[in-house]
Order: sequence, then C-alpha cells, then structure tokens
Amino acid sequence: MAFEVPKNTYNGKIREITLGSGPSALKIGGETSYPLYIFEGAVPNKVKIAMEVWDTKPDDWPEAALEPFADVIADPVAWAKKCVDAYGAEAICLQLVSTDPNGANRGADEAAALVKKVADAISVPLIVWGTANHDKDTEVLRKVAEVCQGKTLAIGPVEEGDHKKIGAAAIGYNHTVVASTPIDINLAKQLNILLGNLGVSDDRIVMDPTVSSLGYGIEYCYSVMERVRQAALTQNDERLQFPFICNISREVWKTKEAKQPTAEAPELGDAARRGILMEAISATLLLVAGADLIIMRHPEAIKLVREVVNDLTG
Amino acid sequence: MILIGESINIMSQTIGPAMKERNPEPIQNMAKAETNAGVDYLDLNIGPARKSGQEFMDWMVRTVQAASDLPLSLDTTNQDAMEAGLKAVKGKVLMNSVSLQPERLERGLQLAKTYNADLIGLLWGAEGMPRDANERAVHAVNIVFKANELGIGNEHIWIDPIVSPVSVEINQVKACVEFMSMLGEIAPGCRSTVGLSNISNGTPTELRPWLNRTYMIMLMRYGLYSAIVDAFDKDLIAIARGNRPDIIKVVHQVMDGESVDTASLTEELKKYYKTAKVLRGESLYSHSWLEV
Repeated sequence: MAFEVPKNTYNGKIREITLGSGPSALKIGGETSYPLYIFEGAVPNKVKIAMEVWDTKPDDWPEAALEPFADVIADPVAWAKKCVDAYGAEAICLQLVSTDPNGANRGADEAAALVKKVADAISVPLIVWGTANHDKDTEVLRKVAEVCQGKTLAIGPVEEGDHKKIGAAAIGYNHTVVASTPIDINLAKQLNILLGNLGVSDDRIVMDPTVSSLGYGIEYCYSVMERVRQAALTQNDERLQFPFICNISREVWKTKEAKQPTAEAPELGDAARRGILMEAISATLLLVAGADLIIMRHPEAIKLVREVVNDLTG
Repeated sequence: MILIGESINIMSQTIGPAMKERNPEPIQNMAKAETNAGVDYLDLNIGPARKSGQEFMDWMVRTVQAASDLPLSLDTTNQDAMEAGLKAVKGKVLMNSVSLQPERLERGLQLAKTYNADLIGLLWGAEGMPRDANERAVHAVNIVFKANELGIGNEHIWIDPIVSPVSVEINQVKACVEFMSMLGEIAPGCRSTVGLSNISNGTPTELRPWLNRTYMIMLMRYGLYSAIVDAFDKDLIAIARGNRPDIIKVVHQVMDGESVDTASLTEELKKYYKTAKVLRGESLYSHSWLEV
C-alpha cells in the first residue's frame, strides 16, 4: 500500500483583518490551516513584524537594544520614521509607557497628541499600547481613539475590565481592538463574545493571548495559542477566529538574561548577541504557534525572524 | 443514584464559621434542610483540621446525628480526626476519602477495616492528579488490590475518579467520563462517586447547575453510583431520581453524536444541549456558553 501523508481536516478559517487604512493598509490573518502548514491550506498573509517605539526615553534598556536607535531615542516621531525607513518595519507599535500612573503618569491629552503626530509621520499602520491599568487606559485610549479618527489604529490592551468603554470608543471612531486575556483560552473566547455583544465588528478584533519570553513560560503561551487555533480551525469556533498579535519584545528585553552585561555573566556569552538571539527565538516560537503580527525591537533579531518567515512561507 | 449533600463544609461562608465556633444550631438546621431536600447521605467536610481535629469531628458527628437520621460521609484528610468520627458515628458510614499516597492508603484502609466503614477510594496518586483515563485505571486497580488484601470487599469501595473544572482542562473532563465507562470491567462490583460541583468551579454561580446536572447525566450513563451534590438543586435531584427523561435523552443524543434538531427543543433543553456539547469538548467553554 502506498504511503499517504496524513492530513488535517479543517472547517474554520482565521479572519483576515486590515490594520491601518488607505495606502498604509496591512492585512493579517486569513489562514485556513495550522500555522505555516502551507501544504494543507492557504496562508494568504505572511507573518508581519511591527517595531516598537516608546513614548519616552527608556531608562532600563540594555546597551544592545539602545544602540540601533541612539540617534532618535528621545524623539518618538523620528524613532518611528527610522524604524520604517531604515529597518523596514511593516507597522509601528507605540508603547505609551509614560502614561503609567505608577510612573510618569502623563495625561491623556498629551499622550493622544503624540500618537497623532506619530500616526501622521509614518506610512504604515499604528498599534497603540497602553499600560494595562484599566482606569488610565480607559482615559488615554478613549482620547487617542477620538484624536486619531480615520487612522484605523489598533488599540490595546483591551481587557474584560475595560472593554466596554474602550470598545465603545473603538466603535465610535472606527479603530481595531486588541483583545487581551491572560494566557487562557476560555477567557479569550469570553472576551471576544463580550466585544461582539458590545457591537465591535468582527473585522475590528485581533487577539493578544499574552506572551512571555523564552525561559519565562513561553511554553504556556504556545499551548494556549495552539489550542485556540485548534478550536478556531477544526471546531469552527467563530469567537476564536481572529489573528494573533504578540507583544513580545518588552518581555524579552526585561529579562535578566537579556540585560546582564558580558562582564557580569561571561558564561552566558556576548550580551548583545544573547539579547538578540533571545528575542529572535522567542518570536520564532510564537510564529510557529500562530502569531500573525509580532511586535519586536532589535533590527538584527527582526532580520533573523524575517528569514525564518520567508523560508517557511515561501 | 445515591446523593450525598455537600453543604456542611468548613469552606462554606455560612456554615464554616458555625463549625469553627462549635455553634450547633446553624449546622443542625443545614442538616435538616439537606435531609428534607431528599439526599441520602450528609457529607461533613471539616477540611484538614490540623488543630484539635479529633474533638472537632467527634463533635460534628454528634451534632449532626442529633438532627438527622441520614448516614454520614466523614470528609477530612486528618486521619486521627477520621478515626474519632468513626468511633462516634452510629450506623452506616462512609470515609471520604482514602487516596493513594502510601502513608494515607495504609492507615485509611486499616481504619475502614477496623470500623467496618465504606470508603471513597480517591484516585489521587503519589504524583498528584492522574493525567488521563489510563492513569485513573492504574490507580483504581492498585487501591482495590490493596483493599482486597485486607479483606475489604469491592462493594465497600466507592471509587472517585476526580472531577476537575471545565474551565481548566477539557481533556480531564473527558478523561473522567472515559474512565467511568471502564470502571465496571476494571473493578467489578465497586461503587463510584464524584465531587460533582467541581465541574463548575470557576463558573458564575447562577450558571453552575447547568454544568453540574449535565455532567451528572453523562457519568450516570456509565453507571455512576453516587455523587456529592448541591442538595438544594431541585432539578438535579429530579434528574437523579429518573424524573426527567427528556433532559437525559438530549444529553445522550449529544454523547452519541446524533444530530439534534435544536430548533425543536425548548429553551431549557437547548441549554442542556449546549452544555453537553461543551462537556464533550465539541465546543469550547466560555462563561457565555449558553448564549452562543
């Protein structure tokens, strides 16, 4: 008897979501098979890489992560432009770190004005990431949504605790919601149901499964993402058929292993190489797990991941 | 089905404080209420009871037996407290539970033998929770073998395959049902029981009964002998007593993979249909499972 290659059967499809609008529009998702199973289904959109930009000069980044952005680190607009022009970022994720009430506690108006400036300066879609403080994010992201009407931003993290108010602003000003849940498939489904009940259109939802770095529980993230895709694709679970966004770079670069200078931990090898490889490997794991868009930091890590993406999706 | 009322429990916000204060009245009222609700046994869960466990269980047994004639299920991991309860109890009694950790197994079985008590054989191994139906089977064989060696007959062993919440791990929910379908062959004549409400742990309170009842039907299909339950869930008791064949039929249809004309179902039966789909792992649980 001739050998037959086993084949999965699918009855669901991941939604194709458009980030941004007009000439900057970027499509993600649309898969009809497990991640990178190009021999079983359609993978219409390659995994996209967004680069992160902070709204304030970072004070805890290791040298290796700062170096590529040394000339723009204090100017988010220039920083975002450099990511697009010099490093080919397919999207920008603006991290509103300075709005953290436990940090600089920058106000909503100021934050929104900066978001608008960055959005106006770049030709790629913009993802805006708050601090996961429900009260503050509600205030800031609602203002951002209003000021940036027409930009079709992706705004998040939108969690169960603040989904109503931020979701309503996203509906009102036509933005996409990044639905964020803490590494739990049942809660992920529940939040997507709630967003649907609220009236967020299904082509305006992307999912953040919550991710962590290599060495810090990424295997749990992997399992949850894998199970989400199984339910979405083989059980046709309509409330899980949304693309994944993975905000991984911050998780990687805050680890001890990515931050320790070479002199402090010579047994771990060259610090710069170490951080870059940790970011690249973490991102690679996530893309194998089903990530559709990965938020990354270091241009060298991005290069490595792009190679993998191109090798695996042709 | 033998139903064991779960409400006299140290974790309960109403009864727990009364138990700690040794205040008999709320406990006796609860015992009477559960008895009137129509259960067959009362579970007395005093928790680990590290301090003065013996006095505690002795007091609990006397307090409850002064208010109800139902047989008791003594629920503690403190084996000295268990023994004190066994000494104090009058009539039929069930030990809840004996698990497979070596130090617990030996003493537990010895107590069952000495006091001529039935025992719940909890399939919790030396390495914790069994991972699937086969590990449950191995544990069941081991506990039955050890009990038989001591001269304890299978009819005195109530195997508890351990129910875990649907919102945690659906494969465990399925494995528990699968194991129930094997138990008759593995350990002929053994009885069985489950802590039923654990299936809905983590689910919004008002929705829990749908999961409890539906899961009970699924396990009953494979001969579940008893369950520790919410005595005040009237529909659950009606199902257990065979008074709701309409509900049982729908759940069985889902279990058999039959296509069900959901449009023709009542709103109530539709909820059982959706719940059975979730508990079978055919659709993924979320807190809104009844609405989608």
